[in-house]
Order: sequence, then C-alpha cells, then structure tokens
Amino acid sequence: MIDALGPARLALIVVFSLLGLFFTFVSMTGVIRLPDVYSRAHTASQADTLGAGFTLAAVALAAGWEGTGFKAVLLVFFIFVTNPTAAHAIARAAFEEGTVPWTEGDERR
Amino acid sequence: MVDAPKRGSVVVPVESTPTLRATVTHLVESAAGGEFSSIHFVVFATWRRDDPDTADREAAVDRLLERVATWAEADLADVDDVEVGDVEVVTAIVGDDEYLFGADDYVRELAAYADEHDAETVVLDPEYTPVGNTTLLQPLEFALSSTDLAVREAPVTRPTRRERLRKEATGIRFAATFALSLAFYLALGDPLYWFDLASGVASAAVVAITLSRISLDADPSLSRTPIRLLRGAVYVPALLYEILKSNVVVARVILDPRMPIDPTLNRVRVIVGSGLPITTLANSITLTPGTLTVRARDGNLYVHSLIPWARDGLFDGSLERWTRFVFYGREAARLPTPRERDDVGIFQGPDATEEYPGTRADGGSIPEESTREDSPDAPAADGPVADAAASNAPAADGDEEVTAE
Repeated sequence: MIDALGPARLALIVVFSLLGLFFTFVSMTGVIRLPDVYSRAHTASQADTLGAGFTLAAVALAAGWEGTGFKAVLLVFFIFVTNPTAAHAIARAAFEEGTVPWTEGDERR
Repeated sequence: MVDAPKRGSVVVPVESTPTLRATVTHLVESAAGGEFSSIHFVVFATWRRDDPDTADREAAVDRLLERVATWAEADLADVDDVEVGDVEVVTAIVGDDEYLFGADDYVRELAAYADEHDAETVVLDPEYTPVGNTTLLQPLEFALSSTDLAVREAPVTRPTRRERLRKEATGIRFAATFALSLAFYLALGDPLYWFDLASGVASAAVVAITLSRISLDADPSLSRTPIRLLRGAVYVPALLYEILKSNVVVARVILDPRMPIDPTLNRVRVIVGSGLPITTLANSITLTPGTLTVRARDGNLYVHSLIPWARDGLFDGSLERWTRFVFYGREAARLPTPRERDDVGIFQGPDATEEYPGTRADGGSIPEESTREDSPDAPAADGPVADAAASNAPAADGDEEVTAE
C-alpha cells in the first residue's frame, strides 16, 4: 500500500503522525505535571484534541478520500464536539463541589 | 371583598404546554376562592431586546400571553361567585434585558418580578420547563427553594389532547434530530446495506425520541439554518487556526522545566443567545488551549485560564465575535471587546478584581488564604511577599516562577 502513495503524501502522513504523537505526549506530560483538576482538564482535553486530530488526519491521508478517510474526518469533528464537553463537565463538577482552582503558592493536589 | 387585604399576588411562569389551559383554570378558581387578588402570567424572554431576528419570537410570546389572558377572562366569567373586576390578570415578559442561561437566572428574574409586584407565591404548571430545553440544568423547583417565595405545582392532569399537542410542538425538531442522526450513522456505515439502514433508523429514532427536546430549543428555521451553516464553515478554519496557535503556546509552557503557569478563574459577560450560540461559544473557548469554561451563570461565562496570555485572548473576545458572526451575521459581530465593555473580571491571583464566586470546599479550609497562613514558610506578611514565600515550598523546581505582567 505504501508503494502506491506519492512521496509528498507519504512525507505528510509521517509528519502528521509525528505531530499527533508529540501533542499526545504533551497532553500526558501536562496531566502528570499540572497541579490541580482544572489545569489537568485543560491539557487532557486540549492537547489530546490536536493529538487525535493530527493522527486521524494522517489516517485520512493514508486511506484516501473515499471510505475510511471520510470517516476519519467525521471522527475528527466528533472529537472536537465531545472533547470540550467532557472537559467542561469535569470542571463544572469540580466547581460545584467547591474546589477552588490552584493558584501560585498553593500546594499541588 | 372582606378578606381583601390578606390576599396576595401570584406569579405563574408559562410556556406553551399541554397543561397550560388547565393551569390557568386552576389559578382563576383559586383566585375566585379568595386565595389571590391578582395573577401574573410571565414568560421568560429567550432574546435580548436589541437582538436581530427576534421579532418572530416576540410575536409568538405575545400570542401566547394573549391566549392566556383570554382563557383567564373566560374562566373568570364562568365562576359565579366573583366579579370579573375582583381578580386582576396581568401578563408580562421578563428578562429581555439579558440572556438567561439556567435555572439560577430564571429564579433571579422571577424573584425580582415577584418582589416588584408584592407577590409571595409562585405556581408552576407541572409540564413547565424554562424555555423547553433545560433538562440538563437543575430543576427550577430546586432553585426556587432557595428563595422566600412559596412554591407549589398546579394540581392539574394532562388533557387527553396531549399526544396531539406534543407532536405539534416538537414535530420539526424531532424530524431534524432524526435526519441528522441517521445521516451521521449512515455516513459512518454503508447506506446501501440493509442491516445498517435498519439499525440506523432504530438508533436515530432512539436519539430523536430522547434528545430532540433537549438538543433543539427552537424549531430549526429553513431560512436561517443554511446561512448559519455556511458561516459556520467559514468559522471552522478560523477556529482551527486559533486552536493550533494556542496549542503551541500551551505545549511550550507545559514542557518548560519551570512550567510558568499562572492559572486563575475569570468571568466574562458574553453577548450571545442562550441555547446553541452559548454552547458553541463555550465549547470553542474550551477547545482553545489555555482556557476552559467552568460555568455559565447570570449571563456570564466563568472561564479558567492556564496562563495570562490565554486570559488576554479571552478578554479580547475574538471567539465571541465569531460566534455572533455565525449566528447573527456580520453586522452583529462588530462590537467592542469584553475588556472595552468592562464585562470582565478576575477572581484569583495578584490581579484579582472580584470576590471568588460560589462555595469553597470544607467551609474555606482549603482556600489559598488559610493555606498561606498555615504554611510555616510564610511569614506574617500579606500580598506578594507571602505569595513568593509560599510558592517556594510546593514548587520544588520553580525558584523563578514567572508572574503575570
């Protein structure tokens, strides 16, 4: 299958995959390093949106516009709608519970 | 009447429900029985007075209130032991000076109205939900219990015409939700394979039955929806660019060994409608790295920002202008930034401009003040000195914490 792809397209697929990996790595790092539930919700949803976005873009490029590629694009849209919704649900639940966001000087939680 | 001084006013929020007719009758009978001297039927506006495209919604509400007034008059005429003039029937629209997002907002408007008109009682139509869309919000009854108002539900049952009325009220929304769900399902599946068709129809039916009243708070309009979709198609690339830009900035902050974050909770009063527009805006804000929508309340969005850069972007309001462009057109997108309108607030940190809203866990033992006082590293000093001292203890790798400008 790889032989059938042009070199430019192949390069783009590799670049997108690497970018996807990079942003997923950033997301993971953020979840570990950031100090509280609000800031973790930022990175868990956001860097991941781009991580999954680039990965699916690579999939779409590899699969071509018909069939699988089209579905990959739809999935990107799906993630872009559901991901912030989930992050908002987590943040809102924390707020309702009375969790005050971490500010400089607080202990990590 | 002899007991006239004792009788008060009652406020009844209404919308077009199958039980509205019976609720009106119940109220008129209660009033005739001496319980109330005046009945206020009120509708919550889902628009702001100066919005474009609201004439049809206003007209619909006017028709509803007119109908209610006519019913009340007819019922009063039917009651023998009361003169028509003894009971006052008032209709009103409340809350059209700002957007109402949730039960909190409705209750605030309702309480203000009741206060203004010396009403002590609220009677709810059992089928009433504010603006028909808000099963996701805490129920109105619950929010009302925090006020001084006496609340009760009208003891009426659904008329037998209910099924027909319900279908009339939600037919278009049902069809729209069904069609969209089915289209998405078949796009992922194979539209020519009988199994996918059958399971798609079944799934779309389940989605439409359960969610059509929630996901659409107004009938989709054939004239406005296509143009909104077109404008949305313009918005998506712009949003993608914003996401990409912010992602790079936030990624750099997260990977920086010193991790120079300065998170705060902020408030921004946004000028977009309730329902789909505010959802779009809140979701866009959350999608953009560095900002996270925590709550929508009192016409405000509470947004958590990770770094001052993201907060400044939020206060510049570009996403708000885009949302107004998508839903109301280019004219409506020209408005001053939230910062220029003075519609912003910061709840935390050295730049704080407002009190922290809402409750703090454990009656305030976790919040920053007490943490600072209890911390052995913090001397009995206030403000920035205590800040700096306390920040050294938890942040082992952060001797040079970068503070906000």
